[in-house]
Amino acid sequence: MPILLEMKDIHKVYPNGTAANKGVDLTVHEGEIHALVGENGAGKSTLMKILFGLEAPTNGTIEYKGQPIRFSGPKDAIQQGMGMVHQHFMLSPSLSVSENIVLGNEPKKGPFSMFRDRAKEYREVEHLVATYGLKVNLQAKVETIPVGQKQRVEILKVLYRGAKLIILDEPTAVLTPQETDELFDSIQALVSEGHTIIFITHKLREVMRISNRITVLRAGKSIATLQTKDTNQEEISRLMVGREVLFRVNKIPADPKEVVLSVRDLEALDDKGTKALQGISFDIRSGEVLGIAGVEGNGQTELVETITGLRKAVAGNILYQGKELLGASVAEIRRMKVGHIPEDRQTSGASLTSTIADNLILDHYRNPEFKRGIFLNHNKIKQFAQTMMQAYDVRAQNEEIMAGALSGGNLQKVVVARELSKNPKLLIASQPTRGVDIGAIEFIHREIIKRRDGGAAVMVVSAELSEVMALSDRIAVLYNGEIVALLDNTPDLTEQEIGYYMLGIKKQEQEAVR
Amino acid sequence: MKSSRMVVLEVSGILMAVITALLCGFVVIFLTSSEPFAAVSALFLDPLSSWFNVGTILNKAVPLILTGLALSVVFQSGVFSMGAEGQLYIGSFLGALTAVYLPGLSPWIHLPLVVLAALIGGALFGAIPGLLKAYLNANEIVTTLMLNFVAILLTSYFVNNQFKSHGGGYAKMENIDKNILLAKIIPGTSAHAGILIALAAVVVVYLLLYKTSIGYELRMVGKNGHFARYGGIATRKIIVISVMISGALAGLAGIVEILGIQQTFKQNFSAGLGFDGIIIALLARNHPVGVLVAGLFYAYIQVGAQTMQYGSDMPREVAVIIQVMLVLLVTAQAIFTFIKQRYAKTEQKAVK
Repeated sequence: MPILLEMKDIHKVYPNGTAANKGVDLTVHEGEIHALVGENGAGKSTLMKILFGLEAPTNGTIEYKGQPIRFSGPKDAIQQGMGMVHQHFMLSPSLSVSENIVLGNEPKKGPFSMFRDRAKEYREVEHLVATYGLKVNLQAKVETIPVGQKQRVEILKVLYRGAKLIILDEPTAVLTPQETDELFDSIQALVSEGHTIIFITHKLREVMRISNRITVLRAGKSIATLQTKDTNQEEISRLMVGREVLFRVNKIPADPKEVVLSVRDLEALDDKGTKALQGISFDIRSGEVLGIAGVEGNGQTELVETITGLRKAVAGNILYQGKELLGASVAEIRRMKVGHIPEDRQTSGASLTSTIADNLILDHYRNPEFKRGIFLNHNKIKQFAQTMMQAYDVRAQNEEIMAGALSGGNLQKVVVARELSKNPKLLIASQPTRGVDIGAIEFIHREIIKRRDGGAAVMVVSAELSEVMALSDRIAVLYNGEIVALLDNTPDLTEQEIGYYMLGIKKQEQEAVR
Repeated sequence: MKSSRMVVLEVSGILMAVITALLCGFVVIFLTSSEPFAAVSALFLDPLSSWFNVGTILNKAVPLILTGLALSVVFQSGVFSMGAEGQLYIGSFLGALTAVYLPGLSPWIHLPLVVLAALIGGALFGAIPGLLKAYLNANEIVTTLMLNFVAILLTSYFVNNQFKSHGGGYAKMENIDKNILLAKIIPGTSAHAGILIALAAVVVVYLLLYKTSIGYELRMVGKNGHFARYGGIATRKIIVISVMISGALAGLAGIVEILGIQQTFKQNFSAGLGFDGIIIALLARNHPVGVLVAGLFYAYIQVGAQTMQYGSDMPREVAVIIQVMLVLLVTAQAIFTFIKQRYAKTEQKAVK
């Protein structure tokens, strides 16, 4: 296949001295699906910004279709037939799908092209939809369509502007497994129509599934370009992280002891007032990990919030070490050594405009140990924060840095450090590694298992089935606010098996679930 | 509590705004005045040319610093109260009542009682919008602005009727006993002891916000309410407390102004001190030390306006232009940083 794009020895040094790219080579062949992988901060975003004309490279050359190019802005890039689909959609919610697709390039008619040519617009958009099989309802308003369709609208938008080279930035981050399958079908259709795809991701399974070739970035350099068929996940992740990565969490068999948390017939409402939990019962013992599997939105959020005191229950009981938790305040529950890693570290888990130290002392600032008279003991706080940052490998200059300046992985380590710093007897970990790079995932998983082995009862909720299976000793599957299966995580338990329960196709008898 | 680089950035940003506002003032002076150099010098040099003028600056700065602190506290907890003006009236009214209608006490007992009454009055009046916000989710901007009218008109009614002084036609209370008025602290000037109270308040508010657990809770509620709730902080209680502390400081501002300058409670005596406090807090980015600097600067410009009016052909309104420009630029800057942060955040999320 002929070479479509060649970026050679790209360097980018920002005015403040950060070198984001330190010699990146990227060669994309026409008609291929090229995966660009790397940890957070490896330089993927900078490279794409340079390609798209949003940043000027400090050094290096770009050749596109054999011609050296230098874009001064995204407009040039679009004109040359490049298109980018961002992770966060840039659509106008109150306009229709078809209006969004043509926005800014509407077909015109009449004197001075004063009027929009609606007929032509529909003709063109419908042709586009038919050609690529990207099924969307053109008349519907964007705010009413599901996420997967919004992404299709973004892709159609790019195609409408004549893009031949399409950059997809973490396209599957917001999709359900089914939507991901559909997206991959669309990508295949695009390629068969002669388009070229650059696919940015950190999910290696998807890389293996869809790409032809892979370029790995690490610390601002391109480490390798591989043929997908000649490599495997272990090799890619080793190249990304720079050392061996354990995919299987190394753990000894669980040694469950007394029951720590006992949930009985729990019912709770979601924010809209409909019943999100329909009578849930389960136990978690000291020294075991219970995984909660399920497609997102089946009651996981409500379950976690009810146990941690953030949401009121309508019926049922939650006994923690023999004491009723329902009715207790969040502060009381936290004081009873219940650790909670919340599902969204950006909104609940951390205060981004506060320092790392302020984020770490959330459970300790009332503790006499951290006070001197009526005042906070800043030396003690500083010392505590530094110890925590070291123990949990939080990479930042010092504890006075704003939490919002940390990468996703480092910020999550701050959250994990804080929640584990009180030696929880019960740890509720909700999406503990969402959007976190491989190195940090490995670290956080190890810490969770360490707590289990130390006698804590652990509940892990994750949208990543592989994570639930890697960490859990037992797995409860939530479907529609009910536990439809309670399974021992034995080696012969397969993802397919759990998948049937997740989709509501199979259901265990009530007795087995209890 | 921030890294030094950020402090430098922020301070230089505010300095830029101040300089730009001053330049705008210059432009107006140079375009309209027949003696522009005399006007500029009268505006900037005359306020510092005599001890008397310096004393006036200090006196003018006192209520500005106190209301600035009041609003800094409440802004830090994420509540956009505009109610300092009303709290100032209610607090100082109660303080003045205590001063006028409890005669015969030793000043050592009387003065603290007067101040305490003002603090309590302001705090209780502040509690109303605080409770409305925390438990009924009523928009605090609306409630506080409305309650300002209640306070101003209510106190006005009382000093026109029940508590009106017997001598003269002014709507004011009887004069307060000289024994409990604030003493002059610099001979030959009008500077009164209020500046010492203001300095003490700066220290107390600084310690409260940055060195105590309630200050920590207050800041966390302001920075990220979800985070505070998740961490078990009683966010509603904190909101009420912060508005009450703010109200107490506003009440203090009012009573110090009365004991230092006005000598009794007069109808409409504040004329917007509570609103000036908003500007001071904005300029200071809600930091107590910044409030001190901003309050002094603002008072300096006000005195400069007077000296310019005497010393040249320019009216004092030029100073108002400078003040308005300052508000415009500083607010724009705050919005700009906010947008930049948002943008940076989405950028960070968008491409990993």
